[in-house]
Amino acid sequence: MKNKTSYSKAHAKYLKKLKTDKTIVIFWRVVVIALFLGLWQLLADTGIIDPFFFSSPSRIFETIFSLASSGNLFIHIWTSLYETIIGFVLATLIGVFLAILLWWSERARKVMEPYLIVLNSLPKIALGPMIILWVGSGPGATIVMCVLICIIITIISMLNAFVSCDHDKILLMKSMHASKFQILFKLVLPNALPEFISVLKINVGMSWVGTIMGEYLSSRAGLGYLINYGSQVLQLDIVMASIVILCLLAGGMYALVLPFEKKYKKG
Amino acid sequence: MDKFLQYENLSYFYQTKESEIHALDNVNFFVKRNSFSSLVGPSGCGKTTMLSLTAGLLEPSGGQILLEGKKIEKNDGRIGYMFQRDHLFEWRTIWQNIILGLQIQKKHKDEKALAFAEELLKKYDLYNFKNKKPRQLSGGMRQRVALIRTLVLNPSLLLLDEPFSALDFQTRLNVCDDVYQIIKSEEKTALLVTHDISEALSMSDKIIILSPRPATVKKQIELDFEGSTPLKKREAENFGKYFELIWRNLS
Repeated sequence: MKNKTSYSKAHAKYLKKLKTDKTIVIFWRVVVIALFLGLWQLLADTGIIDPFFFSSPSRIFETIFSLASSGNLFIHIWTSLYETIIGFVLATLIGVFLAILLWWSERARKVMEPYLIVLNSLPKIALGPMIILWVGSGPGATIVMCVLICIIITIISMLNAFVSCDHDKILLMKSMHASKFQILFKLVLPNALPEFISVLKINVGMSWVGTIMGEYLSSRAGLGYLINYGSQVLQLDIVMASIVILCLLAGGMYALVLPFEKKYKKG
Repeated sequence: MDKFLQYENLSYFYQTKESEIHALDNVNFFVKRNSFSSLVGPSGCGKTTMLSLTAGLLEPSGGQILLEGKKIEKNDGRIGYMFQRDHLFEWRTIWQNIILGLQIQKKHKDEKALAFAEELLKKYDLYNFKNKKPRQLSGGMRQRVALIRTLVLNPSLLLLDEPFSALDFQTRLNVCDDVYQIIKSEEKTALLVTHDISEALSMSDKIIILSPRPATVKKQIELDFEGSTPLKKREAENFGKYFELIWRNLS
């Protein structure tokens, strides 16, 4: 192991450059959002755009504040959040489990292939009315929608990762007399970990799509409901405020997945 | 005569959609205990098929393979297989890779087996890398780990399927030497498949030349060299003569 002090000056310079680069990027990120918000506010204040239709940062802030002080906002956030998390977890778990079953039986895989393709291409929103008839309106229907949207892509991605496992590695396991269970748990599953992490990242986005779509269809609470309500009563401030909160929540959930990726990359 | 590993009228057909391919036809030869033999042959002649049959991963269409007088069965515990690439699992440390076979066979709590694994690591200069991940090791070291992973299960026969072909030339010569010494000092019998004539020459006591498909034994050559290690053998006087003999039989 080399000591830190034994590196040349060029190394220190290089490190400094990396740090400066990072600072510059962060600086510009702040500039972009500040410019965007400032310009929006300015255009709204001067009447170039109509704040009734386009809202404005200050109006959004006020709306969030008033919704929050009445307590309603938290009910909506909580409803959407738990629908999304339950949908996300269920879809990921069931999807991975079904992918394992399809990996296990080549025959089942061949049989199911065309159906998976059709289900994947089908816009899941088309099933909306049926879902409401079957599970009733409310959080249940939203969760089902959320699961439907995430699960097919989970199955397809994970199955792809499982079957693309190096054939020689499987032979190696077999030459050591591994059972199919051992091949699955010691090789195929750990080997598919990078793919699993990208599925998690995709599902964060997809589960929010599912939740908002589900809430559009029929609901009494949630951010999707709030957006729908806001547009019906022509209160664009409510719509915009909900979207801002949605951005924050989705970003936060994504940030929760990131450590997994980092840990894996290090590991 | 000591027929440690014996092939008797071995033949093999494999099926494709278009046709049936006759890969091996009446292969007959034997290998002595603690010897190092190499199979060479034109590409696609069924060398790897021979190894898969020997490892019990495939079943012969005709004839049989005997190891110590006993027929080789599916998942025969007496055989260790080393592949072209090291196939170390990136998510496991070196130590975890080495005890993979022990875990599979539920021997990972067997003190004796673990002590043996540790001893092998120490003996072949990998002990300090025990807790490293495979990607932190050089190609040559990785191949040594792969060999130890096989040896930990204490097989009586080692099958090597072009184990050096993924390495660059310089590393290859050194790893070739290392692997040879490890196999010799652990007193294993080895059967190597390669398309590299000088590699086969430098490692083997005996070379079996296979004909094009359907492969059968074309010629067997017992080698006799002055040198003791693969690198020294390459400098031996008769190396060139043997090389030419084999090359002529291949083309």
